Amino acid sequence: MKAYVASSGVISPQQTHDTTGFPEHVCETVTSRLRCLEPDYRTLINPVQLRRMPRILKMGLASAKICLERAGNVKPGAIIVGTGLGCLDNLEKFLLDMLDHDEHITSVLPFINSTHNAVASQIAMVLKNYGYNYTYCHRALSFESALQDALMHIRESPDTSVLVGGIDECTDDYMLLHNYLGYWKQPVSNLDLFRGTGAGSGSGTVAGEGSAFFLLSGIPRNEENVILEAVHTFFMPEAYTDPEGIAAEADHFLTENNTGPADLDLVILGLSGDDHDDSIYRRLRQRYFKGAASFAGFKHLCGEFYTATAFALWLGATAIANQHVPAVALVDSEPKTIINKVLIYNHFKNAEHGMMLLTRAEGSG
Amino acid sequence: MPRKVFVTGMGMISAIGIGIEETLNSIINLKTGIGKLSLFRSIHGQIPVAEVRLSKGELAALAGIYRNQDAYSRNALFALIAAEQVYHGKAERGVGDRRTGLVMATTVGGMDVNERYYRSLTREGTYKDYIRLFDSADCTEKVATRFDIRNYVTTISTACSSSANSIMLGARLIKNNKLDRVLAGGSDSLTKFTLNGFNALEILSPTGCRPFDLNRNGLTIGEGAAMLMLEAEEKADPENVICEITGYANVNEAYHQTASAPGGTGAFMAMEKALDLASLKPDDIDYINAHGTGTEVNDLAEGKAIEDLFRNSIPPVSSTKAFTGHTLGAAGAMEAVLSALAIMHQIVLPGLNFAVPMPELGFIPVQKTDHAAIHHVISNSFGFGGNNTSLVFSKA
Repeated sequence: MKAYVASSGVISPQQTHDTTGFPEHVCETVTSRLRCLEPDYRTLINPVQLRRMPRILKMGLASAKICLERAGNVKPGAIIVGTGLGCLDNLEKFLLDMLDHDEHITSVLPFINSTHNAVASQIAMVLKNYGYNYTYCHRALSFESALQDALMHIRESPDTSVLVGGIDECTDDYMLLHNYLGYWKQPVSNLDLFRGTGAGSGSGTVAGEGSAFFLLSGIPRNEENVILEAVHTFFMPEAYTDPEGIAAEADHFLTENNTGPADLDLVILGLSGDDHDDSIYRRLRQRYFKGAASFAGFKHLCGEFYTATAFALWLGATAIANQHVPAVALVDSEPKTIINKVLIYNHFKNAEHGMMLLTRAEGSG
Repeated sequence: MPRKVFVTGMGMISAIGIGIEETLNSIINLKTGIGKLSLFRSIHGQIPVAEVRLSKGELAALAGIYRNQDAYSRNALFALIAAEQVYHGKAERGVGDRRTGLVMATTVGGMDVNERYYRSLTREGTYKDYIRLFDSADCTEKVATRFDIRNYVTTISTACSSSANSIMLGARLIKNNKLDRVLAGGSDSLTKFTLNGFNALEILSPTGCRPFDLNRNGLTIGEGAAMLMLEAEEKADPENVICEITGYANVNEAYHQTASAPGGTGAFMAMEKALDLASLKPDDIDYINAHGTGTEVNDLAEGKAIEDLFRNSIPPVSSTKAFTGHTLGAAGAMEAVLSALAIMHQIVLPGLNFAVPMPELGFIPVQKTDHAAIHHVISNSFGFGGNNTSLVFSKA
């Protein structure tokens, strides 16, 4: 059950939307919240449709279009989206309209646009795609669930291709509410996020957002050299804290895919700058992954959000395609010259855990 | 040969009852769950709804929660109650092995808590313990924790087809040999948010919904949860087998964010593909549990699609939404339970509130429980965003 990563379209807090490689300049900001660098949507979306389109739908539709264009405008057999919070901004808008006007609603549009599947259905509507159309909304497993479904689809019909994406937006109220829960740091340089001491350490992280879409294909379409081998997820109830359990899950996953930790050229970890959350990655790195060649992070580039691993998948796939990891992504590691196997591991508050294994197609290079 | 997938346990709580027995009795006795809103104050209090007439404390007690009841949203309590019924029924308990998964569905998650505390939270910073209850996944993780399901846990949100999609995903996970057993279902509570949203769309019935009636005047929203245990053929205890899931399909109409395509193209495609997967012909179907919301647009589009697909052999059709209300993210799972009951008891389930046939359609909905040979049932669930799902249940 594997798939070729045929193309991607990524809107993120980095300049990712107009390049297929790594952007030349890395954005560094002192902030608690990284915001997306968005393209000029007028070049991607019909102006009539664009006029009343909420921002998250623009981001989703634009990145989906960029992705499909790069794959030669193929018609995907399925559209699968993962979004932790869905169309949060419109949900808040309708909720506040209702609460502040004692139910005398001023506009129904935010209600229509508040449904979690609005991104996936908007893409289907614009592309006139009548295929399978699913939306997963499960915190930090949203994107991984979408990927697992996409891989299952390709197993069911190997000659199909699937458009799969992870998308979440950040809002002012989301920042405010989750600040009460201690999620965010005081403004800090994103590039210092999990590096040693100072403002980057301690508790909390930097919020982020983004939309990353991929075309997965059962058969190589052009000269793709990146393969998504498998995706594994698990959930840990609160009372269950066993660091060895995570290593056992990783071992089970890798073994199932005929891989050992020493085969990994790059391990991409969901380091967030929160000491407590990061201790899980550090312990795993020291113990289970100690034979792996190099390590990278990604949340200092895109921020923390439920579907941040879609950005990590882009990072891993781009590293294999270019046989290069930018120094800014590496964490206490020397760059490797050959990148054949990449593991991405992320968890959110030790509850939702996800792993993805990427390989370089044989004979490519 | 792909593995067969059986339904081996069911649980349900809705306006027409707690548990499978009470639910079925209400339907056989034509007892609707639709009535006056009492759950919260609203300027739309005159609009009928289908409430579960139990307070949060009563629901928590039913779910076996006596401490810290405020840490549960209403939809999480519904889901726990329905899931407990599955486990207290025939399906074996203790499923915390590698090959068991949980697939839940919801549209608004913990919105009942969200709308109650949102302003206090943003203005005064009080009630912050409830923030984690707002999203779609909270309910799912509470069910996963209670039943020790760790290996595969996820939540689907595709509007009103959400839990039909959770059943479809559960069946696919088993067929593809990813899992042996999946607890699948959906849960949604009645909220001011959805009441106001559907009201602003002007699709709420002022009288209580009348599916497939000429004078239908909108849908009636309801609440509750339904959960089904799906098991691979070789793992299921034959004594527990209720029916088989033989077909499923999800398509997108790609037509409009809220309205059905005229002529019911999405409904037609979903039913046709589901039958195809089940290797069945239209005249193999013995009963259609329709989406049948009672809106002008849905019933016409769905009715047309049924006519186009089944032509001269239209089986008995009914919508059970006049009993349960439209329970949004729980509707697909509730109607899956009811479809399974139709097979289990060899009956055709009736609708309610029907008086005048629609001139555009050549069939009228079933009005009383009829005994009949039921081998195959199709259940439709359609949602905003053109999301259309059909499931086929067959006698095992």
